[in-house]
Amino acid sequence: MLSIKNLHASVEGEEILKGINLEIKAGEVHAIMGPNGSGKSTLSQVLAGNETFEVTEGEITLNGENLLDLETEERAREGIFLAFQYPVEIPGVSNLQFLRTAVNAMRTHRGEPEMNAAEFMKLAKEVSKQVDLDPAFLKRGVNEGFSGGEKKRNEILQALLLQPKLAILDETDSGLDIDALQVVSKGVNALRAKDRAILMVTHYQRLLNHIVPDHVHVLAGGKIVKSGGRELALELEERGYGWLGVKDEEATPSAAS
Amino acid sequence: MKPAPTLSSAFLEPGGQSLPAPLLELREQRGTALVDMPLPTRKTENWKYSSRHLKLSDELASTLPATGKDGLSLSLPGYRVVFHNGVMIPEASDFPDLDGIRIQRFADLDDDEAAGLAERLDNTLDTRAVQMARLNSARFEDGLYIQLDKEAVLDQPLFIVHEVTGTASGSAYPRIYVDAARHSQITVVEEYLSSGAEPVMVDTVTEFVLGDGAQVTNVRLVMEGENVQHIGATGVRQASNSRFESHCVGFGGPLRRHDLMVRLEGEGGECKLNGVVVTQGKQHYDNHTSIEHVAAHCNSEETYRNIAADESHAVFNGRIHIHEDAQKSNANMNNKNLLLSTGAEIDTKPELEIYADDVKCAHGATIGQLDKISLFYLVSRGIGRREANTLLTMAFINELVEQIPVQAVKDAAQLRLNDFFDQTFQEA
Ligand SMILES: Nc1ncnc2c1ncn2[C@@H]1O[C@H](COP(=O)(O)OP(=O)(O)O)[C@@H](O)[C@H]1O
Ligand SMILES: [Mg+2]
Repeated sequence: MLSIKNLHASVEGEEILKGINLEIKAGEVHAIMGPNGSGKSTLSQVLAGNETFEVTEGEITLNGENLLDLETEERAREGIFLAFQYPVEIPGVSNLQFLRTAVNAMRTHRGEPEMNAAEFMKLAKEVSKQVDLDPAFLKRGVNEGFSGGEKKRNEILQALLLQPKLAILDETDSGLDIDALQVVSKGVNALRAKDRAILMVTHYQRLLNHIVPDHVHVLAGGKIVKSGGRELALELEERGYGWLGVKDEEATPSAAS
Repeated sequence: MKPAPTLSSAFLEPGGQSLPAPLLELREQRGTALVDMPLPTRKTENWKYSSRHLKLSDELASTLPATGKDGLSLSLPGYRVVFHNGVMIPEASDFPDLDGIRIQRFADLDDDEAAGLAERLDNTLDTRAVQMARLNSARFEDGLYIQLDKEAVLDQPLFIVHEVTGTASGSAYPRIYVDAARHSQITVVEEYLSSGAEPVMVDTVTEFVLGDGAQVTNVRLVMEGENVQHIGATGVRQASNSRFESHCVGFGGPLRRHDLMVRLEGEGGECKLNGVVVTQGKQHYDNHTSIEHVAAHCNSEETYRNIAADESHAVFNGRIHIHEDAQKSNANMNNKNLLLSTGAEIDTKPELEIYADDVKCAHGATIGQLDKISLFYLVSRGIGRREANTLLTMAFINELVEQIPVQAVKDAAQLRLNDFFDQTFQEA
């Protein structure tokens, strides 16, 4: 489904991603782990099309189509979804209006009729329940004054509404208490499907207790330095990153920061 | 040194033939005082950004003819008074006879009423500060005099539609005077529209006098075309415990100027002034507001938002003057500005003059652009650029649009905003 070959990307002239190779097939769940500053969010943002980051070399294809030729909104319509590490607050735009506009943009792209306000309200309320977010949050400004956990749940809510082909979850587990982690994991597991791939970005192992990945990759210094099965995540939990020759800013990757 | 330009004598031709004698006399007096009136220049502080947009050619001096046609297909809920080229058109107007409320065109006033009005006209305005209102006082052909007796309540908004027809060059001088006695209530909507393409000037003056506890809401929608220079002044005087609310929504043109002056003269008075201005192309819009806290224990709350696209220019000048005796005044002024292109310009200036020591006075002004990260977030959900930009721009003014208390105005403003968004924002 997603194929990344020799991807280099820089920001303000400084190279952050230094040759990433990654193949993700439909139905798979991949985890990318790595210490802070290793480039995990950069990779996520580049996939979504953030123009702050310049791709200097390499290619990305989604089902054979060159992703780098597409604008951010076109990528989204082709099925790329990024749950932001730091979801953006947009006062003055109601969450409900935002969600409905997004869903209808996708529907229009697929040649389906738009959902009217009443239809959408019903759907949005159902999905809110699924992520344990009070429907009152639909009336608020987008992420406005939401707690960290509420923002993360709002991201999963969007993924569930938009039904992407590839969901990239950037630190969706950070800043969550145990209960919220359960809720978010349940949401992510509900996303798992034969025709969908999930790329989880995290520097903690704990989410992986709830969502079992098929493949784990270690990103360090802008490169994937090791790949393996889920046992790699457990090994990282026990041994940290040091044994991989990676400078680890944190004592262990599972320590809360 | 070049002598300062003065008003062309073409603007001082006689007129006002349908006015009752006392008003005609007043008009002539005001005209005499205008001979050699210096016109605003770049050096005139309150016109420094706008004087070069003021174009008073002699063709503009001719008074536009009253056409009598009903050019408006708007079906407005509530009561309606239609002015064409500054003259009221009774056939197009529709408002009831109500106990304690008199809505009369100047031409229909008897001599006593006209004499009473002549004594009051201009008494809400500092005419040294609003130069162009003086021209109106010397040139008005007709007007509307609204009187509410004590405790009278107009049960629906009164729409006053001012249309100018630019089939030939000329000018119009609409004039409204509202006398709201104690505890009366009224909502007055002013809509400024135009047709035709020849250069036209509208120089309009609206005055409100609020008695004790009166409640007046004024909604102003400025939507004339590219051929129209619009210069307006609104003067307000408030007695104790009265409340005045103003909601201005304006779209740009070659020149748009509004002076809004409020005097809080009795204790416990309150005013709320909201404004939304949208400019594009090479348009120019200049808002000057002045709030005078004359009496103690009054509140003023002012919120203005400018949105400037392309190479347009918006100006906001907000003056708050707290007089020596106006203790416990509470004044809040906020002006936020959104630049949608690098060629656009916005100038904002708060002017605070505070002579009392026990007051609360807060003011803030910002100028910014649409937030790139918010835009990225929206488009990353599949939302198109045009729609994403529209959502973010609406977010900037939503709060003010929502507060407009008349649905028909909200709808008309939204339609016009949608055109603006379509013209301003493109898909990638
Ligand atoms: N917008 C940006 N401007 C400048 N530097 C950035 C920006 N985004 C990320 N970086 C830098 O890129 C490196 C990788 O950051 P990031 O991708 O956020 O790492 P991670 O998500 O793995 O913690 C860091 O050194 C960070 O400072
Ligand atoms: Mg990160």
